[in-house]
Amino acid sequence: MVVNDLVTTMSAQGLPASGRVGSGAWALAEGVGGDIVVEAGAVARLLVTDSEGAVDINIDMERGSRLDLLHVVNHHSATSMAVALAEGCECRMTQVVVSPSDTRVVASLMERGARFELGGVFVLTDEDQASITADVNHVASDCTSRTRVKGVASGKSHGSFSGLVYVAPDAQRTDSEQSSRNITIGEAHIETLPQLEIYADDVKCSHGATVGQMDSDAILYMRQRGLSLADAKRLQIDGFVQDVVLHSAIEGVEETLSALLDEKLNRL
Amino acid sequence: MLKVENLHASIGDKQILKGINLTVKAGEVHAIMGPNGSGKSTLASVLAGSEKFTVTEGSVEFEGENLLDLNIEERSRKGLFLGFQYPVEIPGVTMANFMKLAVNEQRKSRGLEPLTAGEYLRMMKEKSAIVELDSKLTARAVNEGFSGGEKKKNEIFQMAMLEPKLAILDETDSGLDIDALRIVATGVTRLKTPENATVVITHYQRLLDYIVPDYVHVLYKGRIIYTGDKSLALKLEKEGYDWLINDYKEE
Repeated sequence: MVVNDLVTTMSAQGLPASGRVGSGAWALAEGVGGDIVVEAGAVARLLVTDSEGAVDINIDMERGSRLDLLHVVNHHSATSMAVALAEGCECRMTQVVVSPSDTRVVASLMERGARFELGGVFVLTDEDQASITADVNHVASDCTSRTRVKGVASGKSHGSFSGLVYVAPDAQRTDSEQSSRNITIGEAHIETLPQLEIYADDVKCSHGATVGQMDSDAILYMRQRGLSLADAKRLQIDGFVQDVVLHSAIEGVEETLSALLDEKLNRL
Repeated sequence: MLKVENLHASIGDKQILKGINLTVKAGEVHAIMGPNGSGKSTLASVLAGSEKFTVTEGSVEFEGENLLDLNIEERSRKGLFLGFQYPVEIPGVTMANFMKLAVNEQRKSRGLEPLTAGEYLRMMKEKSAIVELDSKLTARAVNEGFSGGEKKKNEIFQMAMLEPKLAILDETDSGLDIDALRIVATGVTRLKTPENATVVITHYQRLLDYIVPDYVHVLYKGRIIYTGDKSLALKLEKEGYDWLINDYKEE
């Protein structure tokens, strides 16, 4: 249902597996891997959804292309995605994970002036186990990357985020930010491992990670306005998670993503 | 409306309020002043029901009910509003959404139907005008990226939306430039009716140029040591607290 809704909202054309894509909206068949080339100068949108099992997806972005990618993980799956960006390319990726899974993204900024952005969120309940790995390789100079991943875990679930920002010796004037923010509820655990490896000297790199409980000041604030404790907690978690949807790489899909997250959040 | 008797409260082992007596009637404006650390904000938090503090002695009656028996949200729904000294940011939750939930909770507790979307929008428009709050701010996340002045205006906007019986404003004037101060204070004054009451906690007399109090209380070391009329605030502004504090010997 979710996939159909997204395909319809995006007016996406089916993409069976490997192939070249130009401007337009595309949906890779569920749970299918392959080699995708985004043609030079194209402005493309791509929907990637999973089914049970493991897949590898390689995306090669030719000069000056732009790719907005939405990755929805709602099966027990392992997805490995590699994106290589040529000169002046821009890739914005939104990742929404609501099921036990392993998701791995490797973005390589191969030529100058490329930009990569990842906004990810995982929501885990019961005994879910999930991991998100996001490695960004700054190979060339003057590139920008933003990695922002959020996690919420409840019950006996276990989540992990691991992210490496690698800056090669030639990658001067790299501008990179990485953040991992997490909320755990009850007995759940979240591990976060943000790493920086920098071999260039003229760079601007920041990273940060937090794992915490809910913000008790915010809960007090909301209750003072009349919301019940349960509603205040739920609203705070909703806000924390939906923030990723509000900044989704693809416009118009917010409602479907919100509904998908809501369904999962109802089980926290 | 509010009757505080011999109120003692502590945080951990530390006793902060040491016997507060305060009676507020409908239609009145009270100002609470006092040096830093005297317990002004604690009093506001304890009345709002913050779980950080423990009430160790005394009683608080609000609208004929034992306030201390009620939790935070029940106090709010009975008509007690606290304007926070440091309004909290809530990422991802829009002002409009937050207030809609809050207003409808208040209505539910009064046996009223939730507002329709149209009614709610009209209400937001009307109330945000009272504090000259930029209507764009209601589409943004609660207090996120708001300037100091916008945060305080936003507190008064929420007060206007919720129409409380008793509003306690905890240093709403701190960190405001003169224009923002005037807007905030004018907003508070416009919301005054013979049926509601306001307790203003402040460091500075300048707020009281706009919000004229019926009573001014001086809080020191957890007790109200002196009560006067609005002229007391002027005297404190000129002479400081020393003349009062020197008179006061801790037991």
